[in-house]
Amino acid sequence: MTTTEDSTKSRSTTRGSYIYGIVPAGMRIPDGLEPIPHGDEDGELGLVTEGGLAAVVSDVSADRPLGTRRDLMAHEAVLNAIAQEVPVLPMRFGAVVTDDDAVAEELLKPHQDYFLRALDQLRGHLEFRLRGDYNQDVILTRIVESDPRIQQLREKIAGVDEDASYYDRIQLGESISKAMDQLRQEDAQATVDALSKFAVATEVKEAGGENGAVHLAFLVKTDGRDDFEQAVDDLGNAWAGRVELRLIGPTAAFDFLPEFEAPPEAQA
Amino acid sequence: MTISQQSGGGVQKAPQGGLAEVLDLILDKGLVIDAFVKVSLVGIELITIDARIVVASVDTYLKFAEATNRLDLHQKGGKDLGEFMGGLTEGATEGGAKGKTKGVLDAGKEKWDEVRGERQQSKREKA
Repeated sequence: MTTTEDSTKSRSTTRGSYIYGIVPAGMRIPDGLEPIPHGDEDGELGLVTEGGLAAVVSDVSADRPLGTRRDLMAHEAVLNAIAQEVPVLPMRFGAVVTDDDAVAEELLKPHQDYFLRALDQLRGHLEFRLRGDYNQDVILTRIVESDPRIQQLREKIAGVDEDASYYDRIQLGESISKAMDQLRQEDAQATVDALSKFAVATEVKEAGGENGAVHLAFLVKTDGRDDFEQAVDDLGNAWAGRVELRLIGPTAAFDFLPEFEAPPEAQA
Repeated sequence: MTISQQSGGGVQKAPQGGLAEVLDLILDKGLVIDAFVKVSLVGIELITIDARIVVASVDTYLKFAEATNRLDLHQKGGKDLGEFMGGLTEGATEGGAKGKTKGVLDAGKEKWDEVRGERQQSKREKA
């Protein structure tokens, strides 16, 4: 796919235009946002406007690999701050083109129908992510106490040398892991039942991590935000001590981008 | 916007997640520039990808076994609670944040931490 890494002209100049996302033209970038670091001079966030669209960009050095913690957090922070004010189509991390002309001519102009339509669909909506982690000791205790087989395994292992009990330990761990998967499914369903009525779209995601309990993304109407957050609080209350919930957002609508269909023949 | 740290159920609220959560979003989601731009693309090296190494589930199983083994169930008296909690939370708080990689319980976050050198990881050898 990236066949053009050398690219057209002798563009060995070391800068490129980094693209964070696409917004409606005429928006103002919130103050105090830090762009991805660019060499010595601190780069600035800017807008490249084309028709009814604008791309949020900053200069980056094309020589430096991207992906430091600061780079990643900057990308996200810029998008989230903008998402508080206007709809925004987030780019995946690492979108760099040669210059601002390319942003206007090759990104915005040819695909404006899709971008405008997508922005329109997202207008008045906010994305939230809900994550929950199990309180490990509480959950493990419950699992062990509710399954005699697991209990036996645990007793068998107790006090036995690590190497000698290696396979028993794997078996014990696997049984617990399965029990937790079962719990995750139930809890994900419970979350959907409790919250999806306050959202226009809900996506269940893999909880991940050994203590991950639930992980969902929600697209919420801006004017339904209070009700949604109240419902999240209620769920947090109901699960207190067992699952610790975190609500992240509003974020740019990473999970609810309207489908893009590539034009049959890419206009090169 | 307001950061309401605390509310009824103790649900933490934050405008932005931690690094692992951010990774999850911005490396896997969002519009892919290659789909739109062909000619003027600048191929910049991304150093993030290698950090998300999938670790075999055996590692996770062994961790569960260990944690379970340390559990202070009521029939056994014994371990000092502080020691017990300390041992657990060390592993526990790092958990939930990161994700996907279908089906496999991955410990990518831990790998990431290791890469960043934020904490040393001692449990690797056995696997």
